[in-house]
Amino acid sequence: MAGLVRTVGRRFFSAKATTGLTGMGVAKDPHLALRVLYTKTLAALEKLPKDAAYRRHTEGIINDRFELVKTVPDVTELEKKINCGQIEQVIIQAEGELSLARKMADWKAWEPLVSEPPEGQWKWP
Amino acid sequence: MAAYLGRLLHSSGNLLRNGAHLHTAARALCSNASGGLTTIRPKDEVMKNQLTVFGEYVAECLPKYVQTVQVTSQNELEVLISPEGVIPVLSFLKDHHNAQFKSLADIACVDKPTKPYRFELVYVLMSLTYNSRIRVHTYTDEITPIESCYSVFKAADWYEREAWDMYGVYFSNHPDLRRILTDYGFEGHPFRKDFPLSGYVEIRYDNELKRIVQEPVELAQEFRKFDLSSTWETFPAHRQGSKPLMDTQGKGHEAPPEEQPAEEKK
Repeated sequence: MAGLVRTVGRRFFSAKATTGLTGMGVAKDPHLALRVLYTKTLAALEKLPKDAAYRRHTEGIINDRFELVKTVPDVTELEKKINCGQIEQVIIQAEGELSLARKMADWKAWEPLVSEPPEGQWKWP
Repeated sequence: MAAYLGRLLHSSGNLLRNGAHLHTAARALCSNASGGLTTIRPKDEVMKNQLTVFGEYVAECLPKYVQTVQVTSQNELEVLISPEGVIPVLSFLKDHHNAQFKSLADIACVDKPTKPYRFELVYVLMSLTYNSRIRVHTYTDEITPIESCYSVFKAADWYEREAWDMYGVYFSNHPDLRRILTDYGFEGHPFRKDFPLSGYVEIRYDNELKRIVQEPVELAQEFRKFDLSSTWETFPAHRQGSKPLMDTQGKGHEAPPEEQPAEEKK
């Protein structure tokens, strides 16, 4: 049959053939990937206390990037606006942040200092 | 020959006479347009401020584990943490958007026998996205195990094996903690301060037994111990405690206040 082409909506595919980085393939649909990752990360951050500094700063970063992902349909322009390397690298960063946010809930890193150093431990010389 | 010697004496005489001018000549050679010396590293206040800000950010996000944050005079950021926080802090520095320290450059160990916890572990991380380095310091002693960061950085495998072999720092949950640099039957941890420079055993080939044998080390000359401390005070700015000083008028006055390196106390 003459090619049945499904419409893909207003999503633009990346025009590049390669990222230029070994082991990093071109993302097929970066907007979807980032949308999913950022939504999951924000959900993971909800479990942390509201006044935790990590939660505040990370939510700020993710919301900024999420806005850009929602408003900028073109991949090359999105890369430029986010200004953190290629979109595939941004996806890797988002994956790292998601796993970190989930682990932070277990570690409870916002609590006050768990153990003081012994007297003279850090004095140098 | 005589003429040559004469010329040599003449030139050395010149050197002595011009000795006083050598310093100014050197200044003329290696000073830049504004008159500063190019052989002295210029202070980079911008870098120092950036590092200080980032250090405070790390301390703010991880208050449970970060004890102190310091920036050295050479613009190196150091984060001093408690040993329970090795995995959380390293994971944060690796994964967080603002950190991205994806490369573990080295795990070094420092033996400080006078401290309560003898071994200081130093994790050196590098960020390629932000072109930045950071050092994470923890402490432990001979019997307290420390969590292995193999789950965070695969490179930690051999670095931790080296710390175990050379110092005796035990890492829990390490996939394969065994010797890496010492000989197969070697006993002891060579980089400790109480391990002698020559070691305890030496090896030789025994012709009767037809193999290498280990025997206690025999030095041809007795070990010479030099008294390396001078009778004069070497670091007046780092004086410990209050030692009364006598100035030229013969009046005693208090020691100057203790100076600490640029520090951000938590």
